[in-house]
Amino acid sequence: MNNGTSAGRCGQRPWWLCAGLAVAAIAGSLAARPASAYEVISVTNGGTIEGVVTLSGPRPAAAVITTTKNRDYCGDTIPDPTYSVNAAGDLANVLVYLKGITKGKAGPSEPLSLVNEHCMFSPRVQGAMVGGQIKISSDDPILHNTHPQNAETNATIYNIALPFKGFSVTKPLPANPELIKVKCDAHEWMHAWIMELDHPYYATTDAAGHFTIKDVPPGSYTLAVWHEAAGEKSEPVVVTAAKTTTTKITLAAK
Amino acid sequence: MSVRVAQLVPIVTGLLLAVGTAAADTGDVRNGKLVYERWCIGCHGVAGNGQGVSAQYMSPKPRDYTEGTFKWRTTPSGSLPLDSDLEHTLLNGLYGTYMPSWRALDDRQRGDVIAYIKTFAPRFATEKPQQPITIPPDPGYSDASVARGAAVYQKYNCSQCHGASGKGDGPSAHDLKDDWGNDIVPYDLTKGHVKCGDTPTDIYRVFMTGLSGTPMPTFADSMNPPDAWDLVHFIESLSPNYPKSR
Repeated sequence: MNNGTSAGRCGQRPWWLCAGLAVAAIAGSLAARPASAYEVISVTNGGTIEGVVTLSGPRPAAAVITTTKNRDYCGDTIPDPTYSVNAAGDLANVLVYLKGITKGKAGPSEPLSLVNEHCMFSPRVQGAMVGGQIKISSDDPILHNTHPQNAETNATIYNIALPFKGFSVTKPLPANPELIKVKCDAHEWMHAWIMELDHPYYATTDAAGHFTIKDVPPGSYTLAVWHEAAGEKSEPVVVTAAKTTTTKITLAAK
Repeated sequence: MSVRVAQLVPIVTGLLLAVGTAAADTGDVRNGKLVYERWCIGCHGVAGNGQGVSAQYMSPKPRDYTEGTFKWRTTPSGSLPLDSDLEHTLLNGLYGTYMPSWRALDDRQRGDVIAYIKTFAPRFATEKPQQPITIPPDPGYSDASVARGAAVYQKYNCSQCHGASGKGDGPSAHDLKDDWGNDIVPYDLTKGHVKCGDTPTDIYRVFMTGLSGTPMPTFADSMNPPDAWDLVHFIESLSPNYPKSR
C-alpha cells in the first residue's frame, strides 16, 4: 500500500523530488496569503476620520437606466445611481478606506447584506473585511441571480439563483481581499461593488457624500477613496487620540 | 511492480476524491505537457488561456484554464472541480461543441494531462475543491414526476432564460455574457442532448452546481432534492430522444 500511496501522490518521481515539491507547495500557499496579516487589538483611545467626498467640475446630468426585461415589474426606466450627487455636488456610494493599517479594532460580526430590491442591488457599494459573510436576499417576485466576480479578472466567485421573493442565503466572502463586482445576469443593468479588505476601517459615503471611520489607532495613514466611475484617489491622514480629523476630498467625474 | 502500482492508483485516487482532496499529484505533469501539446494546444493555447490558433473560429470558445473556472463540476458554484469532473469532460466530450471525447487516450494520459491543465491556474496550488454536492438516488421517471417538474420549472422561473417552452428563448436570453465577455445563450432544452452528459445525474448536477463562468447559477440553496429530481424528469421529457435515451 505504501508503494501505491507514493505512486498516487508522486507519480514516477523519486522521493526526494516529491518531498521538495511538497515543501514548495507549502511555501507557495504561504506566499499566496495576504502580505500583511491584520492584528486585532483593543482600541481605547482611537480617533475618528470624518469627511465629505465631492464631485469636482460640472455635475453629470441625471441619467436613467432603460430596462430591457420584466418591465411589468421593474418599470421601463430606473434612476441610474452611478453618479448620485446632491445639490452641493456631494457624491454618494464612494468607498472610503485606510491603506496599510496593520492593527486595530475587530471586524463586524454580522454578515453584510445585499438585497435584490426592485430590480436593483442595495446597497450599491460597501466595504467588507476578509473572513466575513454576506447575506444575499431578494424582495422581488422574479428570478434574479447574484453573481459576484473579481472586478479585475471577471473570474466568477459564485453564482446564486434567487428564484422567488423572500429567498435569502448567507455565503462566505472570498478568502483573500479583492474588489468584487456583483452582477445579475438575468437583468444586465444590475450592479453592485464590494471592496473586501484585510481590516475593518472603511465606510461608504451617504446621500450627502458624508463618511465616518471610527476607532482608528492614533498614527499616520493613507486615506483612499474609490468610486465605480470616478476612480481612485488617496491622501495622507493623521489621526490623533480621541480626536476627530476632518477632511474634504474631491473626485473628478469621468 | 508497475502492475501493482497501476492497480493501486485508482484506489488511491478514489480515496483522495472521497475526502474532497484534489488528486493533484496523481498525474505526471511532464507527461501531461506532452499530451497537451499533441492534442489540446491547438484550441486551448500555449498558455492554457483558450486562445489557441483554432479558437478564433469557434463558438463556444475553448476553455480558458487560467482562473480555474470550470462549467462542468460536481462541486458547488465557484469551487474548483475535482479531477474526476475534468475526466468526465475528457471522456464524454461536450456535445454540440468542438470538444470531442478523449476516450482514445488511455487512463494514464488523461490523468497526466489533467495534472498539466491544473498548472495553468494558480488557484489549484493554493486551494482545494469543495466537497462535491450530494446527489440522492433518482426516484425514477414517471408522468406524475414530469408534471410536478413542470411546476418546479415555473416556480423557479427557469423560463426567465430558458423560455416558457424550454427553447432557450426567455426574456433574459439575448444579452448574456460569460466571464470572458463572450456572448452566451441559454441551452435549448428541446434539442435532445445536454452538453456534458445526458444521464439524469448529469442534468441534476447542472442546475444544482451552476455552470461557473456563465450566467447559469446554482439552485442548490433554494431547491430541495425531490423538486430537483422532478425538474430533471421534466427536462428529460422535453428531449425528442425521450424515452429512447433512458
